[in-house]
Amino acid sequence: MAQITRRDFLKLAGGALAGSLVSSKLTSLAQGDKSLPNIIIILCDALSARHMSLYGYPRETTPYISAFADRATVYHQHYSGGNFTSTGTASLLTGMFGWKHRAINQGGLVLPEYAKTNPYSLLSTDYFKFAFSQNPWSDRLIGQNSRAVDKFLPVTSYSLREENPITRIFKNDRTLASIALDDFMIPIQGDTAGSAILSTYYKKKAMDTFLKDKNNSARYPDGLPEILIGGYVAPYLNESVYNGVYEEVSQLESNSQPYFAYFHLFSPHFPYSPRREYLKLFRDDFSPPIKPIHPLSPKLHKDFLNSKRTAYDRQVAQIDEEFGRLIAKLDKIDALANSYLIFTADHGELFERGFSGHGFHFMYEGALHIPLLIHAPGQSSRSDVHSTTSITDVLPTLLQITGEDIPTDIDGKVLPNFGGAENPDRPIFSVYAVDNSAFGPLKKCVIAMRKGAYKLIAYLGYKNFDEVFELYNIETDPEELFDLAAKELDLLSKLKQEFQSHLEEANKPFVKK
Amino acid sequence: MKLLKLISERMPDSKNILAVYAFIVTLVYSWTLFTSFYKLPSWLFYLSIGQILSVYAYAFSFDLLESLIALTVILLLDFTVFLFLKNKEEFQSRSMILAGILLGTSMLRLALFQNYEDITAFLSGELLWWAIAIPLGLVLAVFAPRIKLVRTIFEGFAERATVFVYIYIPLSLISLVVVLIRNIN
Repeated sequence: MAQITRRDFLKLAGGALAGSLVSSKLTSLAQGDKSLPNIIIILCDALSARHMSLYGYPRETTPYISAFADRATVYHQHYSGGNFTSTGTASLLTGMFGWKHRAINQGGLVLPEYAKTNPYSLLSTDYFKFAFSQNPWSDRLIGQNSRAVDKFLPVTSYSLREENPITRIFKNDRTLASIALDDFMIPIQGDTAGSAILSTYYKKKAMDTFLKDKNNSARYPDGLPEILIGGYVAPYLNESVYNGVYEEVSQLESNSQPYFAYFHLFSPHFPYSPRREYLKLFRDDFSPPIKPIHPLSPKLHKDFLNSKRTAYDRQVAQIDEEFGRLIAKLDKIDALANSYLIFTADHGELFERGFSGHGFHFMYEGALHIPLLIHAPGQSSRSDVHSTTSITDVLPTLLQITGEDIPTDIDGKVLPNFGGAENPDRPIFSVYAVDNSAFGPLKKCVIAMRKGAYKLIAYLGYKNFDEVFELYNIETDPEELFDLAAKELDLLSKLKQEFQSHLEEANKPFVKK
Repeated sequence: MKLLKLISERMPDSKNILAVYAFIVTLVYSWTLFTSFYKLPSWLFYLSIGQILSVYAYAFSFDLLESLIALTVILLLDFTVFLFLKNKEEFQSRSMILAGILLGTSMLRLALFQNYEDITAFLSGELLWWAIAIPLGLVLAVFAPRIKLVRTIFEGFAERATVFVYIYIPLSLISLVVVLIRNIN
């Protein structure tokens, strides 16, 4: 038998140790690090905090979300980065304001250099990463980094339409394939299709779903809820969608890997079509404050706006109940014991000043003030944060709680209660710049800057409405009824100066030398 | 044997088929380019030039598929319904009339009913549209090519359109490669 020398022994021991370390790392990679918490984001498209009873809305729209708040941190002054999906969602994913990530146009994309600044790339590879967006525009934003997503459901999932073959066939180039095909070559609605033959067939096939689902109309007298974005149409039922969320989470729970799951749910986005039983709600004498008609608005009558507001409130009430049911089911499988659950929105909705909806020149509270509730693993009591926070803060907070490095070039800060500090001097920006090129300096836009109690709204570059500023004290006047721009001249000048220096800084990389 | 002889006698040659394909290609690709001009201003706002070219790559790949489908349908009609007509002489103009009527109807319908509110009208009116377009197309396809002037016009057009085949088809093949590369794992 050959003798083992001291040197051989050391070599063998070293090899065995290295082998065991590599093997344990490989096992950890394969199974995931169980000590990491799961993260679930549930985002309701166009859910305005101003319409939630949780935040003081007079109509009891969100009793179930309020019940959930009893075991979460509730952020009371949380702002979106924009007033429609692309800008708002991109700010959530990248942790940047719109003037930096540049998803500022309808259906716009994040600049290629920031396409990997999002949880899918920045969270540890130990995480199983899941994405589902019912909104094609946010689907495209995630699709810019689709290779980093482990499971990426098609937009049509849990809807009444068959699976969209485009996302399946072109899964590695989902975003551009969707722009080329869903929006241009074979749209179901909107612009004229670029395909002369197959678009007719595709349109007919997709629309057959609508005819097939006519039997649901008894439950939905105002019509089925529908995703109507770009060239895209898909009817859906909220009950099926929330059941789908539960199914996906329970499946993720059954895996041994920690997971990050992002659900971008379409409701209460218009068209507002709640189920029959919710149509009985809010037949009350609630009358919102009358606000002046905005010069840039389509000048819709207040009765029309109030009827839309009621329909929206009913839709909010339905998703509140669906959310309540979902939480009860998740509790049954103990899914929240080791999970952060973040409930939020990408932007809000407005029914005032002659305008209904979102994604127009209006940066008032209804459009920008969004909910944010974070349930930490095992949390059983409520915590309230009243300082101003931004949608850009979600990404650094996720990275903080998972122990990852936070990129230095993002605008977001770690949220108070999760390691961040309250900072009343911090300005928060929301950008509406659909009339600008994503690759040039912002010249035609509306930007809101919230700082402390005040909110400055700047209208830049609009014909007969250029360099117009509005100033509100949100703490004393949350309905934005009293424009202080003509009265508080010193304050206006100070805030304008600060705003302009930030805008100049943001525009710098886009100014041609 | 008699049928085979009939088919071989009346089968159009590849030059004629190419002329018909050129006509289809011209219609299909021109429509795509025309509709893309409505989209281009918004694409320029949020897509880089490379991304816009990739969108066109998808569109041209799609058009290639679509033009081949259209040619197959036309050839099938020629080898079945129209086999007993003077296929060789009139093949070119007949096929072009058919392609023109079918594609033209489809384009007109798309242009007229593009909004969401029009979808019901788009679907419910479909039968009526095709009930008019198909018999009209068939009648024209049978009788119009018998007029020499019509044949001359269509043959002249096809001759000039052939150049588009040599532009669009290589472009589509490059587009296909681009699409494949973008989707490789």
